[in-house]
Amino acid sequence: MSTDEAVIVGAELAAGHDGTTELVVRLRHPGGAENAVVLDEDVGLALMARCGASHVDELAGHSWRRIMEAGDGV
Amino acid sequence: MAYDVVVRNGLVVDGTGAPSFRADVGVKDGRIAEIGAIAPGAGAREVDAAGRVVAPGFIDPHTHFDVQLLWDGAARPALEHGVTCVVPGNCSLSLAPLKAADRQRVVGMFQQIEEMPPEAFTTAFDWSWEDFAGYRRAIEKALSINVAPLVGHSVIRLWVMGAAAQERAATADEIAAMQDLLRQCLEAGAVGLSTSFVDIDENGRPVPSRFAQFEELDALSATLGEFGRMLQCVPEFYDTDITIARIDQLSELSLKHGIPTTFSPVFDSRATPNNVPRIMARVEEQFARGARVWPQMQTRPIDVSFSLLRPSLFFARLPRWVRVLRQPVEARLASLNDPETKAKMVADLGADGGERMMGKLVVRGGDAAPADLIGKTLGEIAAARGQAPALALIDLSLENGLDVAFLAASTGHEDTDRVTPTPANPLVHIGASDGGAHISSFSTYGDTGYLFSEFVRKGGHLSLEQAVAKITGETADIWGLKDRGRLKAGLAADIVVFDPDTIDREAELPAFDMPGDGMRYVRGARGIDTVLVNGQVAYAGGAYTEARSGVVCV
Amino acid sequence: MALTTQRRFTTPGPDETVEELASRALPGEPLEAAVDRIKSWNLHIFAGRKPAGLLLGSDVVFVEPPLG
Repeated sequence: MSTDEAVIVGAELAAGHDGTTELVVRLRHPGGAENAVVLDEDVGLALMARCGASHVDELAGHSWRRIMEAGDGV
Repeated sequence: MAYDVVVRNGLVVDGTGAPSFRADVGVKDGRIAEIGAIAPGAGAREVDAAGRVVAPGFIDPHTHFDVQLLWDGAARPALEHGVTCVVPGNCSLSLAPLKAADRQRVVGMFQQIEEMPPEAFTTAFDWSWEDFAGYRRAIEKALSINVAPLVGHSVIRLWVMGAAAQERAATADEIAAMQDLLRQCLEAGAVGLSTSFVDIDENGRPVPSRFAQFEELDALSATLGEFGRMLQCVPEFYDTDITIARIDQLSELSLKHGIPTTFSPVFDSRATPNNVPRIMARVEEQFARGARVWPQMQTRPIDVSFSLLRPSLFFARLPRWVRVLRQPVEARLASLNDPETKAKMVADLGADGGERMMGKLVVRGGDAAPADLIGKTLGEIAAARGQAPALALIDLSLENGLDVAFLAASTGHEDTDRVTPTPANPLVHIGASDGGAHISSFSTYGDTGYLFSEFVRKGGHLSLEQAVAKITGETADIWGLKDRGRLKAGLAADIVVFDPDTIDREAELPAFDMPGDGMRYVRGARGIDTVLVNGQVAYAGGAYTEARSGVVCV
Repeated sequence: MALTTQRRFTTPGPDETVEELASRALPGEPLEAAVDRIKSWNLHIFAGRKPAGLLLGSDVVFVEPPLG
């Protein structure tokens, strides 16, 4: 895992405003600060597929770039 | 007769937050004429309110009834829930001002947000207007409910810039033209301007308001300032840092132009537990500086739904389910029909066969689900079939072409103990119902009933008087609706009579009452006896009347 | 009442590209690294926007990482 760029450190499921399940991804940035990135169902599923994850816990350790790729692929 | 209507013997909760008291309410010429002891037989019509609360009609400040109001002047089922005033035109979208040539573009945006069937725009009304005054005349023909309409930033932009509204920043001349147009709308009865930082059209492209530089919003806010009217926005509510940035922008506009601003929605979520506390801390800081930046919070919890027609994050902690459901449909069907795979999927749920995770899922209806199963829980269905819930979910889906939607109720914004400090906060505006939007995804009706059943009766977190004030007097003050929101002699007689022991929302059900037999999810009302709009009984005894006494009330 | 410190942001100028914005917001940093940092701090813009990469005049673009 590279430490000079933002990395996914966890993910949780949440209820979204539009009535679907959302993916709340926790991202750790260089320096240690963290924030939550909320992905809609389509992007969340695409992120799991792109990371080869079949469980949300398997997203930890992947680069922030996978989120961007997932979003652009939807 | 001294009065047109007398509402007699009720417990008056006047919308100010003051203690309730027993009194009669006399109505004359559409206005509240007297509150006190009124002589027997003084009313041409008497409404018995013994054992009931008599309150100002509720005000719903965040709706998308723009289209529905053209064929349904009661904004059903809003009125039967005690709502006597709705604010449509939120989130940058209204049906005026709009040139005929731009209609189809805006229809696409409305279909994206409201999920209204296309027939609603082609068969349900005569689209004869372009300007805001024309839209006002069109809805005023048969209103049963009052309307305080916002004008949408996106359509103002579209009128002035045409297709470029969704492509670029505006020039100084274009911004000046938008100000002139906004001024016309405000003079024609718009309660304010709405803008959006998140909405997209049917192609996924950002709506026109999102192409505006801050300078454009600043100029439009200056025009709002001439009238002291509202700026509403939908921020990136899913991200706390961005929402705080928007609070700061709105506060700057509020302070500079002397306008009220409001943003919605605000949600509590276990996944982002610091969201609401951080937002409220910033709101309090900005109010302390003199800004008016009202967060709108909905009362109802969030339900989510899914079917096996497409992958869903609902299963994101069940790897085998994820792998099966992410396959193309034919391969997915093959896997689900494979006994060995199915057995393993059920086994993944553990010893209870999915009872804990899936047993409370509800079959929604509005799809291929058998009618007799609508509203039943998967646990009930599984028990009747003699199956584990996980197996029942798979088989029921397979039996109906996978087109069976399951509802997981109250999965977000649902923890009343966590949520409650926020609506009780005097700086929080209760709203964000989204009435008339998302119609084929979930019901957006009955939040007022839920306020009383959950936060007053069940949790005791708000007093009856506080809850009524939150959705009447306080709302009217925030929006500058001087004639509404309180029971006071001289004000408009918008009145709801309800049973404080039973007022609530009913279960969500599919209804096929949209133009072209379009489907939407609705919730009926419980505990509402009588609703008066401008002094006329618009709803009583479980039925709508012929009264058409609603007005554009700005 | 003083406002507490929050995460700093800017908004894109008319027709400004992410490269131009990154140069403006993070002067002195190599361009590619600056663009990467801006993107990683602003996935609400750079993950899923249609068309991809479109910057809007109303966007909140953070110019520093989260404070938390």
